[in-house]
Amino acid sequence: MSTSLQPRGGGGIERPTSTSLAEVIDTILDKGLVIDAYVRVSLVGIELLTIDARIVVASVDTYLKFAEAVNRLDISQEKAGLPELVGDITEGGAKHKVKGSAQGVLEAVGDKVRDVIDTGSEREKAPRRRREG
Amino acid sequence: MPAVTGVYVYGIVPGDVEADPEARGVGGDSTPVTVVHHGRIAAMVSELDLDRPLGTPADLLSHEALLDATAAVVPVLPVRFGAVLTHRQAVVDELLAPHHDEFDAALRELEGKAEYVISARYVRDSVLRDVIAGDPEIERLREAIRDKPEDATRNERIALGQAVNNAIDARRQADTQAVAEAVAPVADGVITREPAGEYEAAAVAVLTGLDREPELVRKVEELTERRAGQLEVRLLGPLAPYDFVTALRPGA
Repeated sequence: MSTSLQPRGGGGIERPTSTSLAEVIDTILDKGLVIDAYVRVSLVGIELLTIDARIVVASVDTYLKFAEAVNRLDISQEKAGLPELVGDITEGGAKHKVKGSAQGVLEAVGDKVRDVIDTGSEREKAPRRRREG
Repeated sequence: MPAVTGVYVYGIVPGDVEADPEARGVGGDSTPVTVVHHGRIAAMVSELDLDRPLGTPADLLSHEALLDATAAVVPVLPVRFGAVLTHRQAVVDELLAPHHDEFDAALRELEGKAEYVISARYVRDSVLRDVIAGDPEIERLREAIRDKPEDATRNERIALGQAVNNAIDARRQADTQAVAEAVAPVADGVITREPAGEYEAAAVAVLTGLDREPELVRKVEELTERRAGQLEVRLLGPLAPYDFVTALRPGA
């Protein structure tokens, strides 16, 4: 049985119906038209997020994480399939790395996001065109 | 005391577009998305209470959800999150009128097109095994830290991690190039994004016709089949052309 939430298409491509918050942050805070006529509004933690949401690939932290992953690779070969290893892989994968004070913000943000995504109805509310044809 | 309000701007659309009365943006349920017209172009906007801090997860997601839903139907120039003007007339005077011809030309170019993002991640153990097999020095350092306490092997760990990082980075550059080349035949534009995670293999934004989506899906499927077990591939879209409007920068 299939639902609209399952990945579509063959070849193992995932076609998510919603983008993750991390991807949204990367996209809409970093790209798009910039206009210079803004009024002042207070932004919630946006500066922190834009600075830190992108991973610093070449950092000692990253090196140590890679070293640990390589070090643990033996264990995963010997005891493949242990539930805790699977959990570890999932967690280590998808998150953007956020440093310091932004971490709390982004994680809190991630918690709330699931509620928003579950409703998933915004997509249908697109503007219409008056034009004929 | 009445709240001070501003006009939040999502994006620029052709002048013959009208908002869905049901559409809601960052203002929440009480503020519908409307359209401010000027000449052949228009801006999608909604009223915003300026006393409320902007930038909650719901704000960010509804900004993108509205733009992406729009992009699936009509051309749209997405405005970066957080653009607020004082009132509707300011949207005309400060945004639409000064850039009318430029926006109009860009929208004509985007007619029938949207952005898609191909995002590929390495399967962790697969890429690590590949990296170890590809470099005797990595294997040597791995032996050096095995069963030793973390504190005593910090330098070796950093050296090992750095070697792994460099090896993955080299693969990432090659794979990003491979993804870009794989989709180029069905794309009007290809832009590679910066890596956003240590196991990210490629993030490539593609501008293509909405009617060419099935061809794009086939190209991505072929790539995914070739790299089964090594890469996890996601295809996002249709999206507003975020990566392709940065050349138009009226504020710069």
